[in-house]
Amino acid sequence: MSKKKRKFFFFLGLILFGLLISLTAEYILPYGPYEQNLDIALQAPNSTHLLGTDRYGRDMLARTIAGAQITVCSAVAVAFIAAAFGTFVGLFCGYHKGKLTTVLLRLTDVFLAFPVMVFAIAVAGILGGGTINAAAAIAVVAWPKYTRLVRNEVLPLRREFFIEAAQMSGFSFWRILFVQILPLVIGPICITAALDIGTIITEIAGLSFLGLGTAPPAAEWGSMMSGARNLLQSAPWTVFVPGFAIFITVALFQLMADSLRDLADTKSTR
Amino acid sequence: MNKRLKCLGALLIGASLLLTGCGSDSGSGSAAKDQGKVFRYGTMAYGPAMQNASTDPHDTYCGWSAVRYGVGETLFKFDNNMDVQPWLAESYKQIDDNTVEIKLKENITFSNGKKVTGAAVKACLEDLIKRNDRAPHDLKIDTITADGQTVTIRAKEKVPALINYLADPYGAIIDMEAGVKDRIAVGTGPYVAVKVTDQGVELKKNENYWGDVKPKMDKVIVRSITDGDSLSLAMQSGEVDAVQGLPYASLANFQDTNKFKISSTGTSRVYQAAMNFHSPQIQDPKVRQAISMAIDKDKFVNVLLNGNGIAAVGAFPETTAYGKGLNGPKFDQEKARQLLAEAGYTEKNADGYVMKDGQPLTVRWLTYTSRQELPLLAEYAQSSLKDIGIKVDVNATDNYKDFLKRGEYDIYAQAIVTAPTGDPEYYLMSKIYSNQPYNNGYYSNPEVDALIDQLHNTFDRSQRNALALQIQQKILDDNGVFYASFLKMSFVMKPNVEGFVAHPSDYYEITPELDMK
Repeated sequence: MSKKKRKFFFFLGLILFGLLISLTAEYILPYGPYEQNLDIALQAPNSTHLLGTDRYGRDMLARTIAGAQITVCSAVAVAFIAAAFGTFVGLFCGYHKGKLTTVLLRLTDVFLAFPVMVFAIAVAGILGGGTINAAAAIAVVAWPKYTRLVRNEVLPLRREFFIEAAQMSGFSFWRILFVQILPLVIGPICITAALDIGTIITEIAGLSFLGLGTAPPAAEWGSMMSGARNLLQSAPWTVFVPGFAIFITVALFQLMADSLRDLADTKSTR
Repeated sequence: MNKRLKCLGALLIGASLLLTGCGSDSGSGSAAKDQGKVFRYGTMAYGPAMQNASTDPHDTYCGWSAVRYGVGETLFKFDNNMDVQPWLAESYKQIDDNTVEIKLKENITFSNGKKVTGAAVKACLEDLIKRNDRAPHDLKIDTITADGQTVTIRAKEKVPALINYLADPYGAIIDMEAGVKDRIAVGTGPYVAVKVTDQGVELKKNENYWGDVKPKMDKVIVRSITDGDSLSLAMQSGEVDAVQGLPYASLANFQDTNKFKISSTGTSRVYQAAMNFHSPQIQDPKVRQAISMAIDKDKFVNVLLNGNGIAAVGAFPETTAYGKGLNGPKFDQEKARQLLAEAGYTEKNADGYVMKDGQPLTVRWLTYTSRQELPLLAEYAQSSLKDIGIKVDVNATDNYKDFLKRGEYDIYAQAIVTAPTGDPEYYLMSKIYSNQPYNNGYYSNPEVDALIDQLHNTFDRSQRNALALQIQQKILDDNGVFYASFLKMSFVMKPNVEGFVAHPSDYYEITPELDMK
C-alpha cells in the first residue's frame, strides 16, 4: 500500500472509529448524555467525570460523544444531499442546451453570490430552529458549487466520441447522463464533498450556537457551547470540551479529504 | 529623496492619528477628573427593547428610567417591605370610596427651581392619563382638583390600590410647563438628565435638590449593555463602577470581596408555570399535583440559579404580608408517581414514560428565552418530570405569543412581576380571574373569582392581605399554577461605591445616598 493510501485509510479509520464509539457510547459509558444530577453540577474534570460536568450535572464526556452523532451525521447528510442535488443539476446543465439550462445556471449564480453563512442564517431564521431545518438551510446554500464543478467537467466530455457513439446507439438522455458521464466526474465530487464536511460541521455548530439549529437539551456541540457561554470564566471546560471536539473533528475530515485528493492526483498522473 | 520625505510624512500623519485615537480615552479620563466625581453604571435593563429609553415618565415604561436614575420621584414610594410610604406627598386621606385627598410637602422643588404645587401635580397627572397606556386603566381617574398644596383625586369607581398605583414609576411628577425635550423631563430627583439616547443616560447633580440628603456625585453615566458577557467583562476591567443584570453564572467571578461588592434583594418577579386547563391531560387534578410535586424548587434555586433566587410557595414573596404562611405542594417524586398511577397511568412504554390507553403522558412546555432562567427551568422540569414518567416537549421560543394564541401548550412558563405596586390585586385580577386575556392557563374557579371581587371592594389593608392569602391557597390546592422561584436581583460594584443598594421593587437605583469614597 502506498504511503498516500496509508495516510488516507489512517484518517478514514480514525473517523470511523470515532463514529463507532459515538454510536456505542450509551452501552460503554456509565452516564447518559441527558441524565441530570444537580448534586454534581459544574464539577471540574476528575477521575469519575473525565471531562467534568455541566450546570445540570450531566457528564460532559457522554454529551460530547453523543454530540458527534448529531453533528457529524447531519454534516455528512447535508454534504451528501447538497452534492447529489448539485451534481444532478450540473450534469443536466452541462449536457443539455436550452432555456431551462440558462435559467438553472442563473439561479446557481444567484445562490453563489450570497455569503454562505449569512444566507444560511436567513434561511434557518425563516424555517425556524431545529436540527433538520438548520441542515436544510445549509444544504440550500451548499449545492451550487457542485453544479458549477460538475458542469465544467461535463462540458468538454459532450463532444467526446464515446458520447456521440452512445447517442447514435440510441441510448436515452438520462442513460448517457448517469451511465456514461457520471462515473467520469464522480472523483472530484467526492473530494469536494469530503472537504466540505468540515466546513458544514462548523456551519451547523454555528447555527446552533446562534440558537437557529439544534435546541437544548440535545447534545449538539454548537448548542452546548452557546448554553455554557457565560460559564467560560467560572467553568471553562463546559465550553472548551465541545469546542475542542469541533476542532478535532473538522481537522480530521480536512486531513482525510486532503489525503483523498492526494490519492486521486497520483492516479491521474499514473 | 522626495519619495522618502513623502513616506516620512505619511508615517508622521499615521502616528499622529494613532496617538489622537489612543488619546481620546485618556482625554475623557482627565475630563472626568475635571468633572468631579463620576459614577459609571452598566445596566441590562435600559434600552428601546425595554421601552424605557427616555426619562419621560408618561411614555410607556420610561418612568422606570426616570425613577431608577434619580430624575423623577413619585408621590408615594415603596419601603423595603413593599409598603407604601409618602415621598413627595406628606400624607393622604381617604375621603370616601372613590375620593382621596393628598397633601404635598411644602419644600419640594423641580430641578429648575420651580416649586411643586398642587396645580403642577394636577397638570402632570392629567398628562399621564392622557398619554400613558396603563395608567388610565389602573387609576380610573374621573377628576383632579388642586388647591394650594392639596390635590384631590376622584376615581370613576372604587380603586382601593390607588395610592399604590401612584407609586408606580409612571406617577413620577415632572414639570409640565418645562415639557419634555429630547427625552429629557424636568423632575424633582437628585439628578438631572443631560443627555438621553438609546444607548444610555448622562446625568448631573441637581443643585436645587429638596431632600435632606444631598446628591454626592457630580456626574452619573448610565450605559445600556445588553449582553451579559460584555457586562461582566466591563465590570471586571473596571470600565464601569457598578452593574445590574449579570447572568447568574457570571456572579461567581465577583466573589472576591477586596475587589467587588454585591448588593442583592428578593423581588416579586416570580417564575411560574401556568397549567393549561383546556388541555385534556392537565384537566386531571392528580396529574397537575404530580407535576407540582416532581420539581425540586430548592435545587433549582441553589444549583441552577447559583442561589440567586428564592424558592416560591405562592405568587408573592414570603417577605410580604400577603405571601406568608401558605401551604404549597412539597417535593416528593414517590408520591407523584403514586398520583399518576391513581390517575390511571399504570403502564410504561419502552422509554420509561407512563401511559394510559396506550398513549404516553406528554406535556408541551411553552416558554421563552429572553429571561435566562426560563430555559433553565424548562430543561430542569423536563428531566425531573421524566423521573416520574412524564414526557416533556420543551418549546422555548421568543415566538411564544403565536403558540399562546393557538393554544398549543399544556404548560406555559413565564417570568412576571406579581406585585409591581406592592399590592396583590393586579396579579390576581389579570392572571387568575376567569376569562381575563392574560389568564393563560384558563384557570377558572367561581370561589376564587368571588374572593377577587371581594378584594377589589375592600379598602382595609389587613383584610386585603387575608383575602389574597386565601385566594392563593385555593390556587395552590387546585395546582392551577406552579410557582418555582422568585428572582433575586443583584448589583455588583467596586468596593468604594456606597449607597447603591438593590431594592425589592426594582424601581430605585441612583439615589442621593450614592457615593464613591
